Amino acid sequence: MQVTETKNEGLSRAYAITVPASDIQQRVESRLQELVGQVNIPGFRPGKVPVKLIRQRYGDAVKGEVLQAAVAENASKALADREIQPAMQPKIEVTTFEEGKDLEFKIELDVLPVIEPVDFKTVELERLKARIEDKEVDESLLRMAENFGKTEPVAKPRKSKEGDVVVIDFEGSVGGEAFEGGAAKDYHLELGAGRFIPGFESQLAGAAAGDHVKVEVAFPENYGNPGLAGKDAVFEVDVKEIREKVPATIDDEFAKQVGLETVADLKKQMRQRLEGEYAAVARDRVKRQLLDKLDAVHDFEAPQGMLDAEFDSIWNQYESARKNQELDPEDEKKSEEEVREEFHGIAARRVRLGLLLAAVGQRNNIEVTPEEVNRALIRQAQNFPGHERRIIEAYRNNENLMASLRAPIFEEKVVDFIIEMADVKEREVSAEELLRDPDAGEEGATAATAATAKAGKAKKSAAKKAAAPGKAPDKAPDKDKPKAKPKAKAKSAKAKE
Amino acid sequence: MTWKYFRKTTVSKERQYELLRAPVITEKATLGSEHNQVTFRVPLDATKPEIKIAVEQVFEVKVVSVNTLRQQGKKKMFRGRRGQRSDYKKAIVRLAEGHSIDVTTGI
Repeated sequence: MQVTETKNEGLSRAYAITVPASDIQQRVESRLQELVGQVNIPGFRPGKVPVKLIRQRYGDAVKGEVLQAAVAENASKALADREIQPAMQPKIEVTTFEEGKDLEFKIELDVLPVIEPVDFKTVELERLKARIEDKEVDESLLRMAENFGKTEPVAKPRKSKEGDVVVIDFEGSVGGEAFEGGAAKDYHLELGAGRFIPGFESQLAGAAAGDHVKVEVAFPENYGNPGLAGKDAVFEVDVKEIREKVPATIDDEFAKQVGLETVADLKKQMRQRLEGEYAAVARDRVKRQLLDKLDAVHDFEAPQGMLDAEFDSIWNQYESARKNQELDPEDEKKSEEEVREEFHGIAARRVRLGLLLAAVGQRNNIEVTPEEVNRALIRQAQNFPGHERRIIEAYRNNENLMASLRAPIFEEKVVDFIIEMADVKEREVSAEELLRDPDAGEEGATAATAATAKAGKAKKSAAKKAAAPGKAPDKAPDKDKPKAKPKAKAKSAKAKE
Repeated sequence: MTWKYFRKTTVSKERQYELLRAPVITEKATLGSEHNQVTFRVPLDATKPEIKIAVEQVFEVKVVSVNTLRQQGKKKMFRGRRGQRSDYKKAIVRLAEGHSIDVTTGI
């Protein structure tokens, strides 16, 4: 075997490798010998088939097989001799391969950059800690009470308005004919909840009890029932009663209703829940800070191949989002070049952070135990009630999916590890400040509730992204890790941008 | 003996290809290859001179001798009924020194 280096720029390397013909010949012969004992050709007892005949029948297949094996073996040996860690599957191109001639092939690859993590003690982080005011607890209790509220008939007859519940009989028809599911009696419809076809509820606003209303609406184009989609319908509606919502009163009775003893218990639990929520948000913030800092202090080049692969996967997501018209309104305004630019930045960040975290994890022997994976798997399965068994099976049988479970756990562990070492200062802030979007500035969410909802959503989408990279091009599962990881992160980062 | 053995044999092109039905590829047949022998399946009514001419012209080789044998079809039971596989004739053709036929590639 003869290896010549043809390229050595930055992280990319290329080699030309020559394997002597005699070597290949020998391998082919021995492989044919092996086949003698295995093949079954009519007219011959097993093991008695002449080699000549086997060569005639299987010669080409054996040659191809040997070629592949020889290329793979020699390539990996060449890399091992030079102690090169390829970042991705190397690109291999066979230049000549003919009977009786030397085998020549080229390999091209990117090497993993050498990553020297900084001393994490120098990383300064700030952990925000939210004070929880009694007021907030009370507010959440009120919200809860509202959800548990009942409706009562309005005391004085008046016209219905948004937020009311109207009790109606209705009968719908399309083109004069009644259709299935188009009629109901004593239906409790909350106005403004958006449960019916758009337009239906708003036309009922302003009706009084005893009124007869003719509601004319068009089914939306994407309505679930294709027979009705896009058609105009007329509903004859009798308004029987108008009820308004009355929140439940907060007392021990209410506490019992939700499974607790007293109001004090309820308050305590509510406080705990808030604490948990804030802690999660705070953790996210610290993590984000940490990743920003790490990104800033580490300076290494990321392999072009990985960058391209990452960019492609983001781009694909973007394209499919555009096709489904689910783009962020922000993205829509931008030109294609701007979006590309932005995505290149995101891809670079993801790859670099992924490589960095993987390196840190490896260096400090951070591993994901099977139990942790199992727990994540079960949690994932619970998201699909009724199909738990199928989900678990699907994950078990797919290495890529399993890797996508492992990746976020690994990431969390590494992040925890670093945070523990880092110089973390605590600062007490009000809940509002904690929940305020760090990038959005003043115009960001002001109401605590909106922010919580937002944070929750961002997290969920991040988790979804992490589960997505089953299609990651890398074969080796450990390669998948750095890929999947940055995805989750940068996505949440993006959600905040 | 019928008269066909005394006539001077001429073999048409069509007949030549009809004669050589298939090579016999078995352990026993490959043993013959050490003695420059090639085995074919031929029709039951094929004669040695015919086979010789056919092999010489189709494969463009020189034939030294032809031996033939009639292989009786096996008696088999098929779904409880007695059956009989067809008989066939094998021709073992010996080629002159330096000539060879690659039987597996087909005509």
